[in-house]
Amino acid sequence: MCGIHDLTEKDLQPLPYTPAYLDKIKGMRFFDPHVHMSARTTDDYQAMADAGVVALIEPAFWLGQPRTGIDTFRDYFSSLLGWERFRASQFGIKHYCTIGLNSKEANNEALAEAVMEILPQFIYKEGVVGVGEIGFDDQTPLEEKYYRAQLELAKEAGLPVQIHTPHRDKKRGTQRSMDIALEHGLPPHMIIVDHNNEETVKEVLDRGFWAAFTIYPFTKMGNERMVAIVQQYGSERIMVNSAADWGISDPLAVPKTAALMHESGIDLNDIHLVTYSNAVTAFAQSGQINEDDFNIAGNIDQREKFNGSTILRGGQQPRVDKNTTIIR
Amino acid sequence: MAPYVYDQQQMSVWLWAVIRRNGHEKGNEWLAQRWQLHQETATVAQFNQTFTAIPRFTGKHTITITQEEHQLLQEAVPGFFVQGWTLDRLARVWWLLQLAVTDKTIYLDTLDKLFKAAEMNELAALYSALPLLPWPEEWIARTTEGIRSNIGIVQAAIMQQNPYPAQYLPEPAWNQLVMKAIFTEKNIHLITGLDGRANATLALMLTDFAHERWAAGRTVDPLQWRMLTHFTTAANLPDIIRVLQSAVSAEREAAALVCAGSTYAPAKALLLQVPDIAAEIAAGTLTWQSVADKTTRS
Ligand SMILES: [Zn+2]
Repeated sequence: MCGIHDLTEKDLQPLPYTPAYLDKIKGMRFFDPHVHMSARTTDDYQAMADAGVVALIEPAFWLGQPRTGIDTFRDYFSSLLGWERFRASQFGIKHYCTIGLNSKEANNEALAEAVMEILPQFIYKEGVVGVGEIGFDDQTPLEEKYYRAQLELAKEAGLPVQIHTPHRDKKRGTQRSMDIALEHGLPPHMIIVDHNNEETVKEVLDRGFWAAFTIYPFTKMGNERMVAIVQQYGSERIMVNSAADWGISDPLAVPKTAALMHESGIDLNDIHLVTYSNAVTAFAQSGQINEDDFNIAGNIDQREKFNGSTILRGGQQPRVDKNTTIIR
Repeated sequence: MAPYVYDQQQMSVWLWAVIRRNGHEKGNEWLAQRWQLHQETATVAQFNQTFTAIPRFTGKHTITITQEEHQLLQEAVPGFFVQGWTLDRLARVWWLLQLAVTDKTIYLDTLDKLFKAAEMNELAALYSALPLLPWPEEWIARTTEGIRSNIGIVQAAIMQQNPYPAQYLPEPAWNQLVMKAIFTEKNIHLITGLDGRANATLALMLTDFAHERWAAGRTVDPLQWRMLTHFTTAANLPDIIRVLQSAVSAEREAAALVCAGSTYAPAKALLLQVPDIAAEIAAGTLTWQSVADKTTRS
């Protein structure tokens, strides 16, 4: 946002050309239940909107640089609820978040204590659809302590829990995360176990938890493998996300995976379940998701802005034609 | 000095009536219960939690307000405007009036923390409440800070249909508000007190800004010229002439309105060049309102 744009209807229209994969998913709507938009540019929001992403969840996580004070945590949580949500609304995307202390930073005990103190102030805010992403990284005693404490918070607030499963010793870490959640009396339908792979999926589904898959190059899942998983396990309680962040990742992973599934002959209804409605069902248990908001996210802000406005899509960002060398 | 500069108790009663008429039974009941609990225990934690949780119980639909109610609110706090608000915002503003003002330090500290942890809609409610808050001069720095927000609804809550800024902001902050409103494409016609707070420095900023826009081949919001009405000088007369000769009718009309309102003879004389527009102004059919209707931005 730097300066005045004289918006016309034309500026708000989708791009005149479409990448090939977009043809296959024309008219589909997507919900990306795990994407770290704070680390992404505004161009990504525009591309996501063009590809049919209507809503997303941004889990609180680690920023790459360890935080040293409670105020930076507070500001981070506030930005998930404020600035990021506003940025998304400019593209008609409904932005939700989950709030929690991530596993890496749970290892700084003094800071973790201070974060636990401010969490209750944030988890009841509008559009907070869960406690997350929490769980294990190195599986240390401190990680376990704060994982347990946050499960209690979620239970009290009636919120779903979004569990980050570790990269190292993944299978055992995943089992342990589920065992502990059950120990605290949280029912499996309130737990979304994230970053699954071929090794973990069966047990997660068999025990009645939600199984989320992160389509993320190199370190997590590729989408060809994802197609095979849906072919083997079906679409019940499975969801796909991008987890796009400051690493090499792709905020269009959900629509692209839908396109690949379609190409591979997977039923449209199954595609809809794993790229949209299962995530809605799981996180709507928070009472904070209203699907009616998805199409009109931008307009709601507009109505709040100005009484009786005749402007329908104010606050929306103009489109930039990236195919031209001229920049105006 | 008394904390409130208007009849806060009466205002609280009126707002409560508007809330009840717009709310559904469950939401009204919940608010009444929270109010009862607050009367009995008055803990800050509970106060904050209610403030945050309000939309979950009231819903977020746009309120309606009768002409009579609008009149009452206007008489109590001139310029205070709730039309077009959502019910959760109205309820949050009312709720703020329930916080005790017996200890100023505690009050200011509580509000400070509410601002610090607020999400967008909470911020919009907090800034919308400015004209009703106690110790009005205590919110000047906070308002100045709020103008720097990049979030549309937060900016609008401060800038539009809010009488607080015009009444309390010092000139530099006021000018910043007007310039930011123009930059962020607000309908500046909705800024309360625009004419009364026009000043020579602002007039200079506006003409400089227009020059930048023109140099970049961009257009200028016709409404911005309104603030030159009482500050037309030999220095900015060439700009007025340029706008008066614009191909865009709203710009010609805006320039003519400036000339018509000006007491500077060379500006007044320019009206002779546009007799048709001058006649409309004289007849009262062309006003800043009609220009605003034509060019409405968000
Ligand atoms: Zn993540």
